Amino acid sequence: MFRELRKKSFQKFINTETIIHELNYLFWECTTRCNMSCLHCGSDCSKNSPFTDMPLTDFLAALDTIKARPDNFIVVITGGEPLLRNDLELCGKEIRKQGARWGVVSNGYLYDREKHISLLNSGLGALTLSLDGLEDNHNWLRNSVDSFSKVDSAITLAVSSPRINFDIVTCVNKRNMAELPAIYSYLIKKKVRAWRLFTITPKGRAENNRELILEDIQFKELLDFICQKRKEKSIDIKFSCEGYVGKYEFNVRDSLFFCRAGINIGSILVDGSISACPNIDRSFSQGNIYKDNFFEIWEEKYQLFRERSWTRTGKCKECPDYTFCHGNGLHNWEKNNENVLVCHNEKLKHVMYY
Amino acid sequence: MKPNWRKKILGGLSLTTALFIFQACYGTPQDMGLDILIEGQVKSGKTEQPIKGIKVSVEDKVQYQYTDESGKFSFYTESASSYKIKFEDIDSNVNGIFVEKDTVLKNIIKTIYLNIELEEK
Repeated sequence: MFRELRKKSFQKFINTETIIHELNYLFWECTTRCNMSCLHCGSDCSKNSPFTDMPLTDFLAALDTIKARPDNFIVVITGGEPLLRNDLELCGKEIRKQGARWGVVSNGYLYDREKHISLLNSGLGALTLSLDGLEDNHNWLRNSVDSFSKVDSAITLAVSSPRINFDIVTCVNKRNMAELPAIYSYLIKKKVRAWRLFTITPKGRAENNRELILEDIQFKELLDFICQKRKEKSIDIKFSCEGYVGKYEFNVRDSLFFCRAGINIGSILVDGSISACPNIDRSFSQGNIYKDNFFEIWEEKYQLFRERSWTRTGKCKECPDYTFCHGNGLHNWEKNNENVLVCHNEKLKHVMYY
Repeated sequence: MKPNWRKKILGGLSLTTALFIFQACYGTPQDMGLDILIEGQVKSGKTEQPIKGIKVSVEDKVQYQYTDESGKFSFYTESASSYKIKFEDIDSNVNGIFVEKDTVLKNIIKTIYLNIELEEK
């Protein structure tokens, strides 16, 4: 009964957040260039991206349209690989001058001591690094022979500076599934405080690589692993907010599932497109900073993110959990899709008695 | 009921920590940390000319920066009750040779601008 109250209160909370529609989190896809060629890359970015990096001044002009920013507003610089930009420090400093905080999502390959210091000097406050296994498995997924040693050094630097709110993300796949306990021990030894685990969505380069996609029973084992380690409290481990996980909802994260894309999360993509999370289908763009006022678009559009009844189709149509799931994470939808790409709850139902 | 109050009450009832702090799937954690901006200019006490290449660092921190052509520096560092800022001439006799200097700062809120003069050896 207590859990039911929590769930119902949370649904009301989601409704209220949707009405308020406050922009707290702005992604900036500053480049689509990348120095890796990961097997699971969803955005299919590469060294030879057709897009040039967005000039800093163009992003700042869009940022400047946001007149009332809440205290917890943050710009999250992503890519591609943001560290490929030579002016990243200047970007960070100018963002701070506009009164916003900023963070970076990186593969860590270029994150050496000099870069760590220069980013701290520029007001970096949050950092996410990708670690997809111990040496062999990380290098395999990242398609690079020395990416593990590079990210290992980057992790050492990041944990040495308490100023940075830092976490590790891991894309769990068939190869690294068995070594999760070993990764857990490694991260504790490195004094990492927060670890988020993802599964890989079957799109981009991952679409035709079954080795990357967990079987249903493995997905359940992943959640069981997270539940068990959360009880130990040695590290802030959680399942990402990529999808609704039914009966596991109370035990794998700090809060219940809520896809905030387009509700609290916006993005400015490399070509100027205005959207929500960068991994969401590009056809969902709401405008473009090169012809629209960013904040006017945020205030006046985004209806398909705020009103999600259009997702009540396909396997979501008759689903009894729809009230809590709302069509799962929006990155699981493509505009002309008749069905959700991945239903995490369905994967669990295949292997559990409900 | 106003939406912001409703949000706080409902968020509290659902025992969620996502009330104000959340993280996008593929994004970083929120930055709730505190830091300050330390800026300034380093000049020669004798000639009053700006000095390039002076290493400016915060004691017990990994961070440092070198002054530019105008003798200027600017960096963020983690908030603390006090800071010992060190100014060192480490480029031998390029731009002259200057005596190292320490400055202790206390009770800084958000930002400070320092005008530093170094004595020539």
